[in-house]
Amino acid sequence: MQEQLQTIISHVQDAVKSVLDLAKLDEIRVQYLGKKGELTSMMKMLGKLSNEERPKAGQMINEAKQMVQGILNAKKKELDDAVLAKQLAEEQIDVTLPGRDVDLGGLHPVTRTLNRIETLFLKAGFNVETGPEIEDDWHNFEALNIPETHPARAMHDTFYINENTVLRTHTSGVQIRTMENKKPPLRIIAPGRVYRCDSDQTHTPMFHQVEGLIIEKNASFSQLRTLLIEFLREFFEDDSLKTRFRPSYFPFTEPSAEVDIATNLFGDGRWIEVLGCGMVHPKVLTNVGIDPDEYTGLAFGLGVERLAMLRYNVTDLRQFFENDLRFLQQFK
Amino acid sequence: MKISENWLREWTDPNWDTNTLSEELSLAGLEVDGIEPVAGAFTNVVVGHVLSVEKHPDADKLNITQVDVGDASPVQIVCGAKNVVAGMKACCAKVGAKLPGDFKIKKAKLRGVPSNGMLCGASELGLPDDGVDGLLVLPADAPVGMDIRGYLDLDDSIIDVDLTPNRADCFSVIGLARDVHAVSGVALTPPFKDKKMAGTNECPQSVKVQDAQACPKYLGCVVTDFDTKASTPAWMVQKLQRSGLRSLGLVVDITNYVLLELGQPMHAFDLDTLKGSVQVRKAKSGEKLVTLDEKELVLSDDTLVIADDSGVIALAGIMGGLSTSVTLETTSLFFECAHFSRLAITGKARKYGLHTDASMRFERGVDPMLPERALDRALALFSDVAGGTISQVYATISEVHLPKSTTIELRSETITKRLGVDISKAQVQQIFERLGFDVKENVFGWELTAPSYRFDMSIEMDLIEEVGRIFGYNNLPETPVYAPMTLSALPESEQSLLALKMALVQRGYNEVITYSFVEESKQKLLEPTLPYVLLKNPISDDMKAMRTNLFSGLLQSVAYNQNRQQPRVRLFESGLVFYKNDSEPTGATQVPMLGGVITGNAFASGWDAVERTVDFFDLKGDVETLIRMSHQQESIRFDVCEHPALHPGQSASIMKNGKEVGIMGQLHPSLVKPIGVSGKVYVFQICQDALMTMQVPAAKAISKFPEVQRDLAFLVNEGTAVQALVDSIMAVESDILKSVELFDIYRGEGVDASQKSIALTLKIQHQERTLQDEEVDALISEVLISAKQAVNAELR
Repeated sequence: MQEQLQTIISHVQDAVKSVLDLAKLDEIRVQYLGKKGELTSMMKMLGKLSNEERPKAGQMINEAKQMVQGILNAKKKELDDAVLAKQLAEEQIDVTLPGRDVDLGGLHPVTRTLNRIETLFLKAGFNVETGPEIEDDWHNFEALNIPETHPARAMHDTFYINENTVLRTHTSGVQIRTMENKKPPLRIIAPGRVYRCDSDQTHTPMFHQVEGLIIEKNASFSQLRTLLIEFLREFFEDDSLKTRFRPSYFPFTEPSAEVDIATNLFGDGRWIEVLGCGMVHPKVLTNVGIDPDEYTGLAFGLGVERLAMLRYNVTDLRQFFENDLRFLQQFK
Repeated sequence: MKISENWLREWTDPNWDTNTLSEELSLAGLEVDGIEPVAGAFTNVVVGHVLSVEKHPDADKLNITQVDVGDASPVQIVCGAKNVVAGMKACCAKVGAKLPGDFKIKKAKLRGVPSNGMLCGASELGLPDDGVDGLLVLPADAPVGMDIRGYLDLDDSIIDVDLTPNRADCFSVIGLARDVHAVSGVALTPPFKDKKMAGTNECPQSVKVQDAQACPKYLGCVVTDFDTKASTPAWMVQKLQRSGLRSLGLVVDITNYVLLELGQPMHAFDLDTLKGSVQVRKAKSGEKLVTLDEKELVLSDDTLVIADDSGVIALAGIMGGLSTSVTLETTSLFFECAHFSRLAITGKARKYGLHTDASMRFERGVDPMLPERALDRALALFSDVAGGTISQVYATISEVHLPKSTTIELRSETITKRLGVDISKAQVQQIFERLGFDVKENVFGWELTAPSYRFDMSIEMDLIEEVGRIFGYNNLPETPVYAPMTLSALPESEQSLLALKMALVQRGYNEVITYSFVEESKQKLLEPTLPYVLLKNPISDDMKAMRTNLFSGLLQSVAYNQNRQQPRVRLFESGLVFYKNDSEPTGATQVPMLGGVITGNAFASGWDAVERTVDFFDLKGDVETLIRMSHQQESIRFDVCEHPALHPGQSASIMKNGKEVGIMGQLHPSLVKPIGVSGKVYVFQICQDALMTMQVPAAKAISKFPEVQRDLAFLVNEGTAVQALVDSIMAVESDILKSVELFDIYRGEGVDASQKSIALTLKIQHQERTLQDEEVDALISEVLISAKQAVNAELR
């Protein structure tokens, strides 16, 4: 019996060798382990043996069955592995090929800069206000303490539509509208396009400003300066940014200052003016019905293109309005 | 204004180097635009006396000179300058000298002849071009051997100060010096003594001021019997030059000098050309004047003029006339030194295109108390050089019209409150004393009277600004703004523009910013009948019309990029468009728009995709994305439309609640070339307001019961819009019809050529139970009837 079992096992081993697919392997299983299989038949013969022989023979047959099953399992795994390996080999791709439908544009650097400015002030509780770009004389000039005969009118190269209508030369008109319509205290910023009749290497006839306004009962010039230094340091992410406040003149603020920062954009650490600011002139407050003895106003105006140039290393202002994709695509 | 640094230091000389002086001026509010040294850096150049000049034996263009440089014996110098002559005084660089550009002078041989130094021209010393081809010629009395830097006062810089309109008082050396004194505390030391110059004989020229408001002070004075050959002293010429003024003869030079030194514009007339009395009056409309620069002006009656019996002889405070001007033949002078009011002069220079040093000062304001001092100063300078007999001063003064010095109260509490810093009383007092104010203490602070030249002082804040300015803005403490902590509103029903922009960015669009004014002719091509707003003074003719759409700018940007090998372009812009509307206070309705343009390939990279160019539906997908972001797909529809800029078969108006809020489509093929783009270009624009309202989501329960799908294919006429068919189905009143979706459009075999087959999926579901077949069938037959009635659709 031992011999017979040994022969069966070696038959199985031989038969398995040439097997190439699972169907054939199953045939072999049926041949030996199936209901009518050789080992199954031998098991059925056990009844004919004596009580003493039966356990031992049973054990021998079971062991043979397990060996055969083991051989078949090993082969099945071999076949499965081969199938998987083939599938994997077939499915190999060049993962360095570009992904599909990647199509990413970009925001204009001026918008990007505006967002940065707006976000910083929004976090400090400012609200964003907007207004018309074709503006009347009152909101652009008169209410801001710039009457017709004021020499400061000459500072604004104004685009006129008619005697009383202009393209706004600053977004200060938005501040006037806001003060006319809302009660203090106020904390607003007014971003947007502004226009000056001037065009050369360092001037474009249209550019962007963000003006800010705080109306509080006890606001001081020191606070304005502190706020703006903080803004510039956060905007440029540079805690050691050097700033310089120079006394200046705007008809709508007093005291007034222009603010320079030290920059290396041109390689020489020169001072570059980035904003103008001041305390709202009492006449302006009176013009919009706010009592200048009760409230004080802090105001500032930032040149967005100038900040964008300094932040993003742009050396030619005019690039902002050429809209060359090779320029724009650098701002993802 | 340009001023010599040394001239300023004659008045006040703080122990600051040039850069510190410039920084301190800027920080006092007198912004320094630039500092230019008057000469290059050089050493060891002296006044040389050319003793002899001989031809070089071996070079036609060279001369051998013997030059006395103040040493024991003359030096031999070979010189190539054309203007070298024996006897002249010239700048001589000695052996060992260093010239600008680190050029060292050594002993040399030129064509075999030893040369021990170099005779220099202006440019070789880094001096401004004097127009001479050759050596810089020095005056005959130049002391031989003296260092040129000292002799020509070359250790000097030109400071260019950009003054703000309020600081008219600084339009002079004395004005700048006063502020340097205020900041530094260093004494103000006028380099001359004021002296009364008027003579005893009566002024032969009478003056009639007919407009005392415009001219509250007019001083006239006659000078006769002077040396008509006298010329301007070199030191004065040099100071004028360093301020950018050419020497134009003694009389004009002196008036210019006084203008720069003290800030008072003056004018001198040739007395012999004046007829009758001098009058100060408004011009008569149409009167004419030929000005000094030989321009003929036709005057209007709001112009203040100086006239005599012959007519207008000068534009008051702006420029003199040619006929009465001082010439080489002039033997008697009438000096005018007047105060004209700002309002009388403002705007006139611009009106006549004559911006002069005088008009610039009078427009901003001149010290009303200055004319007396300035006239004396001018007469003193003149008589020093040319002698002469000076008459009495013919003074016409209207005290009531002269600006008065104002006294303003400054409370020490206000300084602390407004500036946010505590400044000691003593310091405040010192600031105002140095600024020339009359200071009186009172219980609250001070009563301050501004000096006559600080006519910009009128309210307390003006004084606060002065304190801050002199104290130094950069010395203020850092204190944050204190305000109550409150939360801002966060309306969820408002879409953010940034989110819409980012959606376009993620669909491959780059944002552009184009000018709001566009070329009129291009705008007319796109919207021929729409009225637009025009600028009165455009920068150029192609930036004249305010845009009525975003297309002009977007298309111009497409053209720009297509011309630079960028065939695939996807751009968007947000901004206002301007519709002419006379009922608006500004004459225009200003509407925020969002617009875009696409052209070129549909996909950015196509290594395995089908290459195709974009079409209408690519663009529509982008527009629909924007619409869906605001959850508005039900309220927004696309209707067939006609627009002059768009292809008639590929254009749609975007409708919200029955109102057009935008348009989109293919650029009309006939406009492609005139606009300057190429290929098929698709554009859209939509009012931002239409995209800005969102719905705050309110979730509905999801049905637990199975959904039934029915696919129906309809035959309709080719001209029937799919939307119309879908509308007819959605028109069926039903609680169970959830959605209708298009999944195929078929034309061809089995379908008549005049028709198309539209395949739709209907999704049907009940919220509370499983549907019975009969219910679904009943719905479908209603659908079929409705489709048949509405668009004559037949089930295929």
